[in-house]
Amino acid sequence: MAEVEETLKRIQAHRGVVATIVVNAEGIPIRTTLDNSTTVQYAGLLHQLTMKARSTVRDIDPQNDLTFLRIRSKKHEIMVAPDKEYLLIVIQNPCE
Amino acid sequence: MRRALGGPARPGTERSPGTGRPRPRGEARGVPLSGGRTRRGRTRPDLSATPSLGSQSPRRVLASAAMVTARRVVPADPRRHAGPRRRPAASPVSGRGVRQGSGASSGSQRRASILSGIYANKAASCRSPSTTSDGKAVDRASLVGNKYATRVFDDEGKDVTPRPLFRSDPNTVVPRQGKLLASSAYFGATGSGFLSSFSMHQTSGVNGSLGSFSRTYGSSSSSLSNASTTESVLDEIVEPGSRRDTAVSLSDVQVRQEEIKEWTKEDLDRRVDIYLTETETIWILDMPSVVVSVESEDAGRVLERNRIYVDICKNRPGNDRFVEKMMQTINGAAKNKEVQCDKIIMEDKGMLVTSWDLYDSFNVSEIEPVSKAEGSRATTGKSSKSHTTKEHNQTMLVSSNRGSTTSSLMISESAVLARIHEEEECHSEAILTSENFQQNLFFMERILMENIFQPKLAAYRQFPVLIDPDVTSDMSGIVAAVKEAEQEEHDKEKKDKEEQKNAFVDPSILSDLNKTPEEIVPPRLERLWSYICDLTNGHSVSSMAWSKVNPDLLAVGYGAFDCKEQKKGLACCWSLKNPMWPERIFRCEHGVTALDFSMASPNLLAVGMYDGSVTIYNVQSCNDAALLDSSESSNKHTGPVWQMRWVEQDRSATGDGKKERLICISADGRITEWFIQKRLDCIDLMKINRTESEKKKLPGEKERKREALISRLAPGMCFDFHPKDTNFYLAGTEEGHIHKCSCSCNEQFLETYRGHKGPVYKVAWNPFSTDMFLSCSADWSIILWHQDSQTPILTFSSSTAFVHDVMWSPKSACIFAAVNESRVEIWDLSASILNPVTSCFANPRVKFTSVLIAKNTDCLLVGDSKGEVSVFELQNLAAPNNNKVGTLHDIIGPAVAI
Repeated sequence: MAEVEETLKRIQAHRGVVATIVVNAEGIPIRTTLDNSTTVQYAGLLHQLTMKARSTVRDIDPQNDLTFLRIRSKKHEIMVAPDKEYLLIVIQNPCE
Repeated sequence: MRRALGGPARPGTERSPGTGRPRPRGEARGVPLSGGRTRRGRTRPDLSATPSLGSQSPRRVLASAAMVTARRVVPADPRRHAGPRRRPAASPVSGRGVRQGSGASSGSQRRASILSGIYANKAASCRSPSTTSDGKAVDRASLVGNKYATRVFDDEGKDVTPRPLFRSDPNTVVPRQGKLLASSAYFGATGSGFLSSFSMHQTSGVNGSLGSFSRTYGSSSSSLSNASTTESVLDEIVEPGSRRDTAVSLSDVQVRQEEIKEWTKEDLDRRVDIYLTETETIWILDMPSVVVSVESEDAGRVLERNRIYVDICKNRPGNDRFVEKMMQTINGAAKNKEVQCDKIIMEDKGMLVTSWDLYDSFNVSEIEPVSKAEGSRATTGKSSKSHTTKEHNQTMLVSSNRGSTTSSLMISESAVLARIHEEEECHSEAILTSENFQQNLFFMERILMENIFQPKLAAYRQFPVLIDPDVTSDMSGIVAAVKEAEQEEHDKEKKDKEEQKNAFVDPSILSDLNKTPEEIVPPRLERLWSYICDLTNGHSVSSMAWSKVNPDLLAVGYGAFDCKEQKKGLACCWSLKNPMWPERIFRCEHGVTALDFSMASPNLLAVGMYDGSVTIYNVQSCNDAALLDSSESSNKHTGPVWQMRWVEQDRSATGDGKKERLICISADGRITEWFIQKRLDCIDLMKINRTESEKKKLPGEKERKREALISRLAPGMCFDFHPKDTNFYLAGTEEGHIHKCSCSCNEQFLETYRGHKGPVYKVAWNPFSTDMFLSCSADWSIILWHQDSQTPILTFSSSTAFVHDVMWSPKSACIFAAVNESRVEIWDLSASILNPVTSCFANPRVKFTSVLIAKNTDCLLVGDSKGEVSVFELQNLAAPNNNKVGTLHDIIGPAVAI
C-alpha cells in the first residue's frame, strides 16, 4: 500500500503532470488531484470512450483486449489505464 | 302440397318432420327431377346435381321448383327474348346463382314472373291435394324414368310435368351463356314466359291458363278460363317453339342456333337496351307439408311426430341443444376460464450484440462447468478470489465470479452477500492495492517518462529526434538547440535566442543537417539525461555494470566516495525506460564498491561491499533481501572488494562446458573465486604478494632494512581477464604494479608490469587487439601496455587529477574513455595520442568517478560523486569501419621497442 502511495506521489510529481485520477467502476473518484466536478466529468467521459475503444478492439479480435489508451490533444496528453474495476487517468502536459 | 318458399331458401334449413311428407310421395312428386327438362338445371349444375338425379328426399332443395314451372312456361321464344329485351351478354346477370328476390328489374314483370311462379305453384298445389298428388306422384315417379312418357296434369288439366334439372344429353351441350341466355331470357320474361314453357308440353290449355296468370295477379282459376286470351299471346310464343321438337333442349339449341346470325356493322352499332330484371325465385328447399288423414294408419305416428316437433320448437329458444350456426363445421365447446395473477412486469432490454460479446458468452459457458467446481472454492473468501485471479486470466476471473455468484448453495450465497457488503466498504482500498493497479501505475509511470524524455531517448537510440509541433518548449540546454536545429522550418529567432542562452551550443550541431563534405565536425559529448533520484543523493557512484542480456538495464552501486566516511550503501538497477526512478533498489549495509551482473543467470547481481562482503541479489524480485550472502563465509575478504566480475571460463580440464565464476579482488590482497552453493563461499585464486619494486641499487647505498610490512599482501585494486584466453588475467595493485597471473598457477605471477607510480585503479584489455591493455592510476596517467613488454608503450596524461576509470570502446580499437575527477575524456588514438578528442567537464563540485560505455549505442555513462549517472551521447565520432587494429598497431609500432 505504501508503495502504491509512493508511486502515485511520484507520478504526480513528475514534470508536466496536470492531474492524476483514480476512479472506480461506478465513477466515484478514489484518488484525484483535481476538483470534484472536473474529476467526475473526466471520469464519465473517459469511461465511455474506454468502453468504445475496448469494444472496437475486441470486435476486431475477441481474444484481444484494450490495455492502454492515450489521447494526444493540442494542450495535453490524456493517458488512461482501463481495468474492470477502475480507471487510472493521468493528464500530462508534455512540453513542460 | 307444394309449399312455396317465400324467402330465400336456406340450404341448411330443416323442415319439421311433421310437415314432411311420406317419402314415396315426396319422391313421387319428384320435385327435384331429373326427368323434367330443366334448362336451368343444366346451366347450373350445382343446384341440379343434388336433387335432380334420383335423389329423392323430402327435404330436398327445391331450388328449381319454380324453375320447373318456369320452364314450362317459357316458350323458348327466341325472338322475344333475343329482342330488345335483352342483350346476349346480359344473360349471366340473371343466370348467375340463385337469385331469390334480388335485382330490381322491371318490377311488374318480375313480380309477375314471381307471382306467376308462385301462383303457378299454388295453383298446382291447391289443385293437387295430397291424394291427387299421390296419383300425380305416381305419374311423376314414372316421369323420372321417362321424360315424356308421363305427364303430370293439374286438376285443370295443366301439364305440370316437372322437368329434369339436369340433362346429360350430349346433344344438348350448348354454350353456357347460351343456356343462360335462354334460361334467363325465359326467366326474365314476363309471366308469359312461364306460360310459354308450359305451352311446350301441351298444346293449349295450360298455357292459356298460365298465360292468364301473367296478366292477372289475382285469381288463379280465372286464368285457366282465359285460355283464349292467352292463346293469342302464346301463339306468338309458341310460334317459334312449334318449330321445334319436343325436346326442349333441342329447341334450346335451335333457339340458340337461330339466334346466331351474321352480325353486321349496324348490328354492332345498334343500340341495344339492357334490361336487368329480377330472376325467378329459386327454390333451394321446398318441403311441402303432407297432410295425413286422421283415419290413416300412420295418423297416430304423424300426430306424435307433430307433437314432438311442436315441443321442440317451444324448447328451442333457450335450449342448449340448439345452437344457431351459420356454417357446417363443428366447433368444440368453448370454456372460459379466468385466472388471476399478479401483474406481470415486463421489462424491455435492448442489447447491442458485438462479436466479442458472443465470444465472451461462449467462453464463459465453456469455462462455467470447470469453474463451478472452483466456484465453491471461490466463495470462501476474497483472498481466494484474488488467488484465482492470479492463476487464471481475466476470462477465468469473470467466470469464477459468475461461478461464485451462481452457486446455488444457500451458505455460499450468504457468504457472498456478506462479502459483498464487506467489499463495498473497502472497495477503494481493494482497487488501490490490487495487482492490476500497481501494474498499471508502473506502466503509467513509464509512459510518462517516455513522454518527458522522448527526444533524449530517441537520441540515445540514435533515432531521428522528432519535434512535437504542439510543444512550445522553453527548455534550456543543448537539447533544445539540437531539436530546433533539426527542425528546419523552425523559427529562426527562437533558435538564435536559444543560442544566446546557451553557451554550450556548438554551432557545428546546427549545421549538422546541411553538412558539407568539406566540413569535419568534431566529435562532441552531449549530455542527454542522468539517472538520479532522491535516494541516491549523497552517495557516490562507485561502479556501474550493464546487464548481460538487457542492454537497457543498468546496475549502479553507490557508496561513499571518501574512504573515511562510510555509510549504508545502495545498489540500484536503472532502466532506460524510467530515468527518474530505479527499478530495483537494494539497500546494503555497507557502501557498495563493486558489482556485476551474471551472464549465465542474468537475474543475479553480485555486489561487493566496502567491508569485504559479497552479496548476491536476485533482480527479478522487488524484494530487498539478498539471495545469498557471504557473511557466513569464513574465508571472506577483510578489505573492500574493489572489483568483482563474473567470468566465463572454459573448464577444458574438467571437461565441462563454459562455467561461470565469480571472481573478486579486494584490498586484502586476495583474488578469490566464489562458489554459489548453499552458502557463498570462496577459495583463493591468488594472493598478491607484495613485490618489491625494482630499485636500482645505487652504488654505495647500504642495504636497507626491509621495510616493515603490515601485511605481505598487496591490496589489489582491479583485475581483468583476458578476453580470449580466460586462463590468465591482469591484476592491478595499490603499489602500482600490474601482475599478469594465471588461474592454473596461484603462487606466482607470470609477469609484472611496472610503470605506474600510484595505485592502479583500472586495467582493461583491448577487446580487439588483445595484446594491449590500458591501465589508469592515481598518478594522473593512463598507460597503454603491450603484454609482451614490461615497459609502457604509451602514456596519456592530460590533466593533473586522479584517473579513476578507463574503458575501451567496444566499437573501435583506438577509442577509449577515461574519467578523471574533473572531466571525462574521449581518446581516439587514431586521431591524437596526445590529447583527447573531446572531453566534457563536470560540474565544479562534482567529481566523476566511473565511466561505462554502452554497447549498443554511442553513449557514455558517467557516474559522479553526487550519485548522478549522466548519460552522454558521443556525437560525430568517426565511424569505425573496421576495428582499426591495424591503425593501432601502426601507432604503437614505433613505440614498441622490442
